[in-house]
Parts: sequence; C-alpha cells; structure tokens
Amino acid sequence: MKLSRRSFLTGGSAGALALLAGPRLTTARGLLTEPKLDDLVKRALAAATKAGASYADVRVVRIRRENVSTREDRVERVSSSEDYGVGVRVIAGGAWGFAATPSVTAAAAERAAGDAVAVARANASLMKRPVTLAPVPANVDVWQTPLIKDPFKIPLEDKAELLLAINREAMKVPGIKFATSSYSAIAEWKLLASTDGAYIEQEIVRLGPANAATAVDDKRGEFESREYQLPPRQAGWEYIEGSSMLADARRVGEEAVEKLKAPSVTPGKKDLILDPSNLWLTIHESIGHPTELDRALGYEANYAGTSFATPDKRGKLRIGAPILTFFADKTTPGGLATCGYDDDGVATQKWNLIENGILVDYQTTREQAGWIGAQASRGTCYADGYGSFPFQRMPNVSLAPGAKERSIDELIAATDDGVVVAGRGSWSIDHQRLNFQFGGQAFWEVKRGKKTRMLRDVAYQANTIEFWTSCDAIGGPKSWWMGGSLSDGKGEPGQVNSVSHGCPPARFKQVNILNTNRRTT
Amino acid sequence: MLTQPEARRLVDRILTLASATRGTAAHVAVRSTREGNTRFAVNEISTSGDVERLAIELTVQFGQRSATAVTNQQDDRSIDDLVGRTLRMARLAPENAEQMPPLGRQTYVAARNAADPATARLTPDVRARAAFAAITAADAAKVAMAGFVHHGSRSLAMGTSGGLWAYHTWTSCGMSCTARTADGTGSGWAGLGSSRMADLDAAALARVAVDKATSSARPHKLAPGRYTVVLEPAAVASLLGFLIGALDARRADEGRSFFARKRPGTRLFSDAITLRSDPADGLLGAAPFDAEGFPLAATKWIDKGTLTALTYHRFWGGKQGKPPTGQPTGWTLDGGTATRDDLIKGVKRGVLITRFWYLRALDPQALLVTGLTRDGVYLIENGSIAHPVNNFRFNESPVQMLAGCDGLGATAIPSVGDFSELRVPLLRTHEFNLASISEAV
Repeated sequence: MKLSRRSFLTGGSAGALALLAGPRLTTARGLLTEPKLDDLVKRALAAATKAGASYADVRVVRIRRENVSTREDRVERVSSSEDYGVGVRVIAGGAWGFAATPSVTAAAAERAAGDAVAVARANASLMKRPVTLAPVPANVDVWQTPLIKDPFKIPLEDKAELLLAINREAMKVPGIKFATSSYSAIAEWKLLASTDGAYIEQEIVRLGPANAATAVDDKRGEFESREYQLPPRQAGWEYIEGSSMLADARRVGEEAVEKLKAPSVTPGKKDLILDPSNLWLTIHESIGHPTELDRALGYEANYAGTSFATPDKRGKLRIGAPILTFFADKTTPGGLATCGYDDDGVATQKWNLIENGILVDYQTTREQAGWIGAQASRGTCYADGYGSFPFQRMPNVSLAPGAKERSIDELIAATDDGVVVAGRGSWSIDHQRLNFQFGGQAFWEVKRGKKTRMLRDVAYQANTIEFWTSCDAIGGPKSWWMGGSLSDGKGEPGQVNSVSHGCPPARFKQVNILNTNRRTT
Repeated sequence: MLTQPEARRLVDRILTLASATRGTAAHVAVRSTREGNTRFAVNEISTSGDVERLAIELTVQFGQRSATAVTNQQDDRSIDDLVGRTLRMARLAPENAEQMPPLGRQTYVAARNAADPATARLTPDVRARAAFAAITAADAAKVAMAGFVHHGSRSLAMGTSGGLWAYHTWTSCGMSCTARTADGTGSGWAGLGSSRMADLDAAALARVAVDKATSSARPHKLAPGRYTVVLEPAAVASLLGFLIGALDARRADEGRSFFARKRPGTRLFSDAITLRSDPADGLLGAAPFDAEGFPLAATKWIDKGTLTALTYHRFWGGKQGKPPTGQPTGWTLDGGTATRDDLIKGVKRGVLITRFWYLRALDPQALLVTGLTRDGVYLIENGSIAHPVNNFRFNESPVQMLAGCDGLGATAIPSVGDFSELRVPLLRTHEFNLASISEAV
C-alpha cells in the first residue's frame, strides 16, 4: 500500500491507524516534521521514472555527530557536525545508477534522479544479467532508538567533566603517565521512499565511549597501554551515565601498570579462554564477514576479498563445533545495526547463519536474495550517508549462549594450562577469512584452574574453521555480553557500518599463541 | 562544486559572523568535492554513482577555549546555526593550555599537476569504458574480474580571523582490478593512482591482473620462514605507511614510539633509502598546506639512510624549541634503477609479493606489523620465478624492510583504495618474516 506522509499522519489507512494506536509514535522525538520532503521525494521518484528508471528510491539523510576527546587534565577537542543530503538510486536498462547532492531541494533531487538514470544508462550495455529485486511489502512506518536522555541535549560540561574524572582516576595510579578518554554520539535520521511503496522514517542514535591509560617505564624505555571500551550502543545518555566507566578507570590504570611489569608470554599451543570483550571481534571477522553473500560470490574481490563460505557449501560446511550457533539479528535491543527497516525498505529480522556448527544461511539484500534462490531479502542493505550507494552490510551477528549457566570463572576453573584474553587488541584476517591473528588488551596466565598472573605481548593465530571446531565450552545465558564497532569498513568507495556482536565467553583447545614483541624475539 | 570566488565569499561571511562576538578568533575551512565511481565484479558493472559533497568547518576560540562544528548546508539559516552552535560549544569547552591561535597570512608553494581539467570533467561513460576494457580482458582469459574506477575534483578553501587565506584545488583518480581464475586457485591484482585519468591505462592494468591470476593458479605449498622478498610497490606502500605514521616528534619525546630514543642524525638504513615529502607534488594529491593552513615545505625525513627530521605540530614545536613542520603531504620513497628482473636475478631463494592486506600494528615500539600477502605470490629460485606459492601472514616491521633493503626499482603510485598518496618503488629486502601460511586465494 502506498501512502504519503500526510495520509500517514492523518491516519488515512488501516496501517497508519494501527501505528498511531501503537506505542512508537507516542514516544517519537520530533520525527515526521518536514512536510517539504513529501514533495521532494515524490518529485525525485517521478523524475527517475520519467527518465526511464524501472525502480527508484530516494534517501534523505541527516547525520549529526558530537565528539569530545580528552587527555589527562584537558579537553583536546570538542566538535560537532551535520551532514545532510539526498541520494537517489535507480535501476534503468537493468543497471544500477546513483547520484547524490547536499542540496535538499525538490529541484536538486530531480536533477540527482536524472543523473542517476544517466549513470545507469552508461553502464547498461555492459550488463549480462539485469538487476532484479526480491519483492517487498510497501512498508510505511516510523522507527527510532528507544532512549530516555537525548545525548545531544546533555550539557557539554557534563560530558567533559565525566571524561576528565575518568582520566583523574587513572592518573592516580602510580606509574600511569598518560590517560585519554573520549565520547562520541551519532544521530542518523533518514527518510526512505521508493517506487515500490516504501515510506519509512527512522532515527538511530549511537554512542561510543572509550578510555585508555598508558604506563611508561623510563628506565627500560618501554610502555604499555590498556584500552577500555564501554561497548558502543544504540542508546541515550543514560547508558553512559549509568555505566561503570568511572568506577573502572582506576582498575584500567592498574592493569596497564601490571601489564608493563608482566612477563612476556611464552609462545606455543595452549588452551585459550576468550572473554566476550575480545571474542566479539573474532566473531565479527571470522563469522560475520564470511557470511556476507556479495563477498562470498566475488562482488568484493577487489578490496575486502572473498569468502571460504561459498554458497555451494551451504547446509554442508562445518565451520565450528556443534555447540555453536551464530545468529544474525537486526532487532537486538541496543544493537548498533538494529533498526526497523533496512535501506531497501525491508523489515528487519533475526535468523541463523550457522546452526550447530553448520553453515546454513547468508546476509542478503533485495538484489541478492535471488542469487541463492531465496524468495525474500534478509534486510541487510545499508548506506552510511546520503552520498553512499546502499549495499549489503553486516547485521548484528552473535553467538548464542549455551543452555547451561556457566561463567568465565567456571571455564577458568576447568582449565589446566591456558591464557585468558580480554579486550580488543590488534586484529587481522586474510581476504577469504581463514588465517587470522588477534591480540587483546589484557592477558592472564591460567594454571591448574586459576588465573596466576598477567602476561603481555600475546596474540592468537589460527585458521577460522580449525579455531571454531576446537571450541569445547561456552558460557551460559547470564555470561552473554554484547560488544561492537562504530566503524566496520567495506566497499569501494569505503563505507562504515555500525554493528554489535553478542557472545558468551568461550574456550578453545590448543590454539597457537604468539609472542608479538620484537624486542624479545 | 564551489568556485574559488564562491568559496571565498562563504569563508568571509562566516568569519564576519563569528568575529562579531567580542574576544573570538576563528578558523574556517570549506571543502567541496564532486566524485564519481564505478565498481565492477563477476565481469559486469555492479554499482556506480556521481556524488557532490560539501563540508563547512568552523573552529572558534575564546582564549584557550575552543570548539569545532561542521555543516554541509550553506543557506543563511544553516550558517547562522553553525556559527551559533560553535560559539556556544566554545564557551562551554574547558580550557586547553595547548590551544594555539589561528594562523595569520601565509605564503605557500605552488602545486604541480594538481588539477587536471580533463579529469575534472569526467563522465560515467568514461568509467564504463575503463570497466569494459577490464571485463573484455577477463572474458577473453576466462577469469572473473572485479575492480574499481574512481575520480574526484576537489577544492579546499581556508581563512582565519588572523588574515589567513588559502585555496587549493586538485583532481584525483585511480583504477584497480582483481582477476580470479575459474578454479579459484589463482588471483591477481593491479592498480594505479594519479591526478590525471590519462595516466591510467585500463587495458594494461587488466592485463597485469589477468597475467597474475593465471600465473598464480595452483600454488605450491611453501613453508613459513624468513625469506628474501621482492616487494612490488603496493606491498611497500602499505607497510611504509606505519613508519610515516610514527614520525610524530611528540610521541617520540614522550617515549611512546619507535623513534623514542632515536634523534635526527641517527643512522637507520643504507644510503639508498631516502624518504621525502613534497607539498607541491600534485600527482600524489598533496596540498601546499595542512588542516591548520600551515605552509608545508619539501622535506627529507630520512636522507640517505639517516633520520633527518620528525614532525612537529605548532604547540609541541614551540615547547621543544623546534620549528613546526605542519602535517606533511606528498610522500615519496626514492626508487632505484633496477628492473623487477634485475632484483629477481640476484635472489637464490626468495619470494615475490604483489601486495599486502589487513595490516595492523602489533608493537608500536618496534613498529612490528602483521598482515597478509594476496593476489600473486611466487617462489624465486636461482634468479628466476619458479612457481606460484601459497599466501602468508607476515609479522614484520617497515624498519626491517628498509634496513634489509639491497635493491630498489622504479617508483609507482599504487591505488590501494579510493585514495592514494604514496610514491614507492619495487624493493628487495631480506629476512622478511613470513610467519604462517594463509590458505586464502
């Protein structure tokens, strides 16, 4: 059903009435406030159709950012930005075309529509298979991040004071020479309208806090840092306000000092216990990216690479132990990739990618669904701004917890000789997502069921399938924790995506532990 | 895209508004771009677009308080909002003892080959023709081709309440392509960047990628270890970037970098190694000034193997009694006269590497970096290429790469993404740590 914004607002349809009766609009924060955009999107879609587009969509996107960064006792930078514009994507002659402008007027949007069709026509003669899109209902809706305190309305002094207080706590630790902290907020507002009837307005608010402490040993000329990340989330200021960032600041400093004094790890094969604060990134790189369908079929070969998990192996390839089920989910509360609809206008959902260790499905868009015989898209299309072409981006991809309650302490207690890794360190994985090497922020030796001392210079290196197959124990539902990144890169030109990954702690048998310190090798 | 007079009017308008408040100092930067790109994969065009962008950045200072805000809208209301928002934020921001005042009038070097009119006028059909050339080569060789063609026309205008005015306009472009054999065992890459589209020969790049794909198919297994390696420019550029990033004097002075105990005058490498930056080098997308409007000068950072300079921002330079350098652009590692065959001939047993992927720092103090090889790795035996081999993960440092270097070839500007800024040579070095096998192709 096609609706205009006005008919939607006045309740001119059953769908709109249902929405007005629902909970979401009662908490809407100033959405649906720009009537001129009705005219703009209509005229842009009409211009694209008139120029010969068989499909068109228009995105009006406004991204606001705010950043505060501090170092020791001073605020290094306070900044805010707004990026606003219109992007028009079309299919003409079976090829995609795209054009975008920061001029948010109906006339400029019409010009962009014409330019997008011209781009598509320039490419059409080279198309061997015309682009086709999986069907989608004509979704008309509003979606927004549930939050209590709009971070953009919190006084700057409050944010700066919290960050400086975190630095003060860290600097109280003897041996700490440097302390940094930062906060960023991103509000992504967008209106999507398409010739297939989408009319969807969304506002997604994400927060990214971080802090770090550095200990320096002047005599030895060495230093170690401990970076600490309260996971970025889709949330309001209440998330940071209610967090333990300040309470943990001193411990962060203490761990940096302890790490500097810690012995360098002895390399070799050991049992590896990964805290969720480290494991989430391993999931991102070794499970999230390989199950992107465009990558698996060669569409990212020139930059991000391809994948070991090709569609011919679907339903057959064992990627990990039977205790492992990985699911994709763009509905997880607080998840960075969570939203109501993707940039194809497809309602978001949850589905399994790997079930009991076996590859079962992929991340898809409307264009891609048919490539693997699916009838509908999984709803993972995303563009990172008005000027970016929407394409397949990772949803939140998570490891389901084990059925039995089990904490990381219980995993440690059951381990004779191992290493515990926490926090995000250096990470690198090959272009088919097989050979990876990950570091961390804090490492502990485990002997006979106990954490004995901190270690430094640790990285683990493995082959994705061997690694996940070696997983013999995972934590339970209470140990499940969600990390994430605001800056996952993909595509040419590069685009960023925000994505969360939840997981319990997990143990891996006899993994190759490296020493990354050139000074000791 | 804004013309120079339009950009000047916009900068002046904002400076006037911001300066109307007593006690303010202001810095305005206006960046305007028009970009186009075409991607292709699986031997057809996948996505393509033309995009205009604008960024109007205002920094306001009240004494030691400062804040920065950016908008991309130039209507009166948006500009008033930008100025009001920045002033409010600056008043609220805590004092920063290191805050430097905006610069006054400066003199800049003139850039060479920065803006190419033909590249500025490029249309989607030119990109489509480049993609067509690559796809045609791939179809003929029965390989799968993916690639990227991009170009941009850009301007940066800058002004301050202290009287600075700076303007630079330039073009950039690049093309890269990756060919993969049908059996999935071979992959090859080629890519170049420039400020002039006429410098890029799509068919020639495609030929290199196809040749590499077919010649790297069905690789033999080679054990990890320390090898003599011949690195093609794309590989050199990605590893060298870590060394360039570590040249910051403050981190060195604070004991937090590879250069912590190394001062200018320290001998690091052989006479063959010279690393320089040239803000007038338009082919690299270099600019004559940095983000503050600070005038950049052509500088040798490593001269014939000796560290000669570190980068100083204004505050740190003043504190240390050193002249500031600004943030350099237009980097070149000087090359030599050897051909690829010359470098290979001198190798009894070694590895030829096309490019690296997913590089990450492991140890900032040792500048140890991890990453992987991809798109064409070959065993060299007794002075010639013997056969293709598997990919590797390496754990190595750009310092070791340069310290072990005993041969340099011609330089190139490899297009490793949608931006390129390094001119680097083909390079031979020794004891390069190929630490583990990557089964990826």
